Amino acid sequence: MKISVFSGIVKYFQDVYQGFRSVMNSYSAALPYVLGMGELRKEVTEQYPDPISSKTPDDLPPRSRGILFNDIERCTGCRECKQVCPSRAIEIETEIRPDTNQVWVSTFNIDMAKCVLCGLCVDACLPNSLVHTRQYIQSAYNLSELMMSFGKGPITPKQRVNWEIARRIKENDEVLI
Amino acid sequence: MNLESISTISWISLMQDQLGTSSWRIALFGLSLIYGLIILPTGAVMSYLERKLRADFHARIGPSRAGHAGIFQPLADTLKLLQKEKYSRSTWTEMLWIGFYTMAFYSIVAVMPLGSIALLVNTDMSAFLPFWAALVLAFGTMVFGLSQDSVPGWFGGVRVAAQALAGAFPAIVAILCVGLQAGGFSWSSMAAVQGASPFSWTVANPFELIAFFAFVGGGMILLGIPPLDTGLSMPDIHGGVISSLYGKRYSLFRFSRFYGFFLWSVIAVTMFLGAWILPFGLSEILRLQERFILLGSLELLWILLKTVLLMLVVSSVAQVVPRGRVDHVTDFSWKVLSPFSLLALIGYTVWIGLRTFL
Repeated sequence: MKISVFSGIVKYFQDVYQGFRSVMNSYSAALPYVLGMGELRKEVTEQYPDPISSKTPDDLPPRSRGILFNDIERCTGCRECKQVCPSRAIEIETEIRPDTNQVWVSTFNIDMAKCVLCGLCVDACLPNSLVHTRQYIQSAYNLSELMMSFGKGPITPKQRVNWEIARRIKENDEVLI
Repeated sequence: MNLESISTISWISLMQDQLGTSSWRIALFGLSLIYGLIILPTGAVMSYLERKLRADFHARIGPSRAGHAGIFQPLADTLKLLQKEKYSRSTWTEMLWIGFYTMAFYSIVAVMPLGSIALLVNTDMSAFLPFWAALVLAFGTMVFGLSQDSVPGWFGGVRVAAQALAGAFPAIVAILCVGLQAGGFSWSSMAAVQGASPFSWTVANPFELIAFFAFVGGGMILLGIPPLDTGLSMPDIHGGVISSLYGKRYSLFRFSRFYGFFLWSVIAVTMFLGAWILPFGLSEILRLQERFILLGSLELLWILLKTVLLMLVVSSVAQVVPRGRVDHVTDFSWKVLSPFSLLALIGYTVWIGLRTFL
């Protein structure tokens, strides 16, 4: 619809006035909070939960996601957690144990500086070895302090020899039986 | 601007005579004092007050841990940011934007209007020099954004530049309005036409009032002050250029934001809100009694108080108005602030004409 120049100018000033009035209305709605008028003075902040205040890790909701922990004895080294991790915070290295032919998880590192606590790795963990703890304080002076290592370490030559001997003894026993 | 237009104030010459040292050393000392005793402490105070005010708007407590009522929170935040470790390598493009920022921080501190005594350099074009710092800051941010290998960086950088150009126009026209009234663009001439009473401030004139809003609004757009910081914080670009900042670089960036805001506010106070003129005729009394140190200190405190109040009022707008889109912000500048600033300029020119001939 075509409007006259005069109507356009009038509408322009009306729009500017409406914008100004909108800001003023917002102020009138918000100022009672600032000035502490009536019930609006009540502050709704809950202090960050820590042992000093009333909140402790035990008071956290049941499904709170804190720092990750991996029970390495139950871990199978399947790498499902590493596959689903969106922030690539998990590093896994495995070897085959010579005596039992089972997976030996030599390295299982979680970089909590990268972790976004999404919980996808915990959901993906079949043996339920990876869990969220209720510890939430992760402040550190160095990034290296945020690297959580759960791995058993690489198999040493001595361990390899010992396991080989153990495997042979077991085989001989089975033959004798 | 030639060298003759720059006049150093008497105390630099006095110190030069008494100490027998070169003027650049005294100027360097003066700049360090201004940063160490004025700009950084004001930044800390402003940061604390702004966070408390914002918390009041949101019915929150705000800073409460570091010191009584969280008063040392700015110090704690700074120390934390300075201790952050780097986990990416420095590049030459990073050095480029840090260089631009450093240039903006130090180049015009000498012309910052902090009172008649604390004014290191008073030039005929002082009112235009802050544009240098503001545009260099915007240019540095744009370079930083374009140097990032990310969409938030590229779009953020381009939007910062678009906003800076849009905001500069109404602000320049507003300065012309004040220049017409003051008969010049030096801080001293702008202060000379004002008095201590709000009725004798520049902003008391209806056309200058419009120019004041255009100047403050233009500055908010030029510097990207919330809620007009769309080049830095739009949700579609995930925080823009700052999304990859942390630690020392983030603290530098945050400081640049405060510095630009402070600079713009102190200039707005000088041009429109009575400058550093003390109430109850104190300025004249102390000048007659030749108590220059007391005069300089009181003027400094007075202008800082007015500046911090103006900054808090401007900050409060961000608490009641949602952040717009970048095209809304540039439209606001070109279609509202610019016509109104021109209206103020034309109106004030006609006002002067009528006053002269009638």
